Amino acid sequence: MLLGMGTVFVFLTALVFATRLMSLAVGRIAPEAAPGPSADPDSTAHSKILDSEILAAITAAIHRHRSRHK
Amino acid sequence: MESMLKLAGESGLYLMTPGEAVMIAVGLALLYLAIAKEFEPLLLVPIGFGGILANIPGAGLAVGDGILHLFYEVGIDSGAFPLIIFMGVGAMTDFGALLANPKTLFLGAAAQFGIFATVVGAIALTYGGFMEFSLAQAAAIGIIGGADGPTAIYVSSILAPELLGAIAVAAYSYMALVPLIQPPIMRLLTSEEERRIEMRQLRHVSKGEKIVFPLLLLLMVALLLPSAAPLLGMFCFGNLMRECGVVERLSNTTQNALINIVTIFLGLAVGSKLQADQFLDVQTLGILVLGMVAFSIGTASGVVMAKLMNRLSKEPINPLIGAAGVSAVPMAARVANKVGLESNPHNFLLMHAMGPNVAGVIGSAVAAGVMISFVGG
Repeated sequence: MLLGMGTVFVFLTALVFATRLMSLAVGRIAPEAAPGPSADPDSTAHSKILDSEILAAITAAIHRHRSRHK
Repeated sequence: MESMLKLAGESGLYLMTPGEAVMIAVGLALLYLAIAKEFEPLLLVPIGFGGILANIPGAGLAVGDGILHLFYEVGIDSGAFPLIIFMGVGAMTDFGALLANPKTLFLGAAAQFGIFATVVGAIALTYGGFMEFSLAQAAAIGIIGGADGPTAIYVSSILAPELLGAIAVAAYSYMALVPLIQPPIMRLLTSEEERRIEMRQLRHVSKGEKIVFPLLLLLMVALLLPSAAPLLGMFCFGNLMRECGVVERLSNTTQNALINIVTIFLGLAVGSKLQADQFLDVQTLGILVLGMVAFSIGTASGVVMAKLMNRLSKEPINPLIGAAGVSAVPMAARVANKVGLESNPHNFLLMHAMGPNVAGVIGSAVAAGVMISFVGG
């Protein structure tokens, strides 16, 4: 039983160190751009354009609907 | 008249033994727990129904060429179903919390103490003359303490197939009972102040780390513990499909359609082991009790380990997350979160508890590998 528990601990301890090393290495070799709100600045502008286009289309549709059912 | 008698002689009423009647009642009880109480319904509905099918007198569904027996031979006897499920679990697991705080692997290791303590307990029962368990059977029962269904089924299919029905039912029942079993143990072992400890926010984990981790784990298994390779190999494969981002379709299938299909057949096949002559035995009672003991000791040792780490480490660690070291993903992590919120309404431990929780999955697979190589080989 001690042997079994020991094996589990040794294995997972080794895994802890290996994981730390791996994280360091990955951070060195392939650093990732820090994620932040600036990641996609034109997305909001884009959606604004889309919004106004959709708004225009909806307004036009309502207008036509009303004029037809008068 | 003669043919009427023959028909009556083949009816279930005439052929039913008391054992079969009891087992059909057990199957119905499992269905009740699953449907009315929502105890692990994904597993207990197929297992309960399979258990009823297996005990229909004269039909022989669970023996010889019976369909349930065929499911068992194809899926469990071969070891295939639990391994495919493990691949799906891998594809569903996010190692982010673990990678942000690798120390939590120790908690996943500590909680496996219940497994080994139970093996000793089962052997003690045998020596004491209360029950008869071989070493292989004791090992298979101990794995219930890992609170990991597929691992328990895999190990018992190798070490003690005759106990598989009882072990699977015990494993899934206790996983469903996590929210009832764990909190009293957690409260007993921690002080109010310890439960209030707030932990630092986890750092961001890069995509690269998440892709390399399953490969690293696989390499470690290959080098150090090949007996855990079937379980952890499939697990790592599923996780790599999830994280690599280029096989979205395979990853989706693995964590949805495939795991669901296999779960259905796994449940029915486990149900086929709920035959009266195998299940209605003092041993089953022993398995239920020992499984509970294994589970409680696992929870307790996880909490104690977390307390120890809190003393030794510079960063504060809330001991409650140690209880999540028994796998039972994500139920155990949710329980840790809930008990933490009771003491400190601003303390959200869920993400912190996910670390030990997924570490527990690795830990119980490693413990399973150790058991199989020590006892089986």
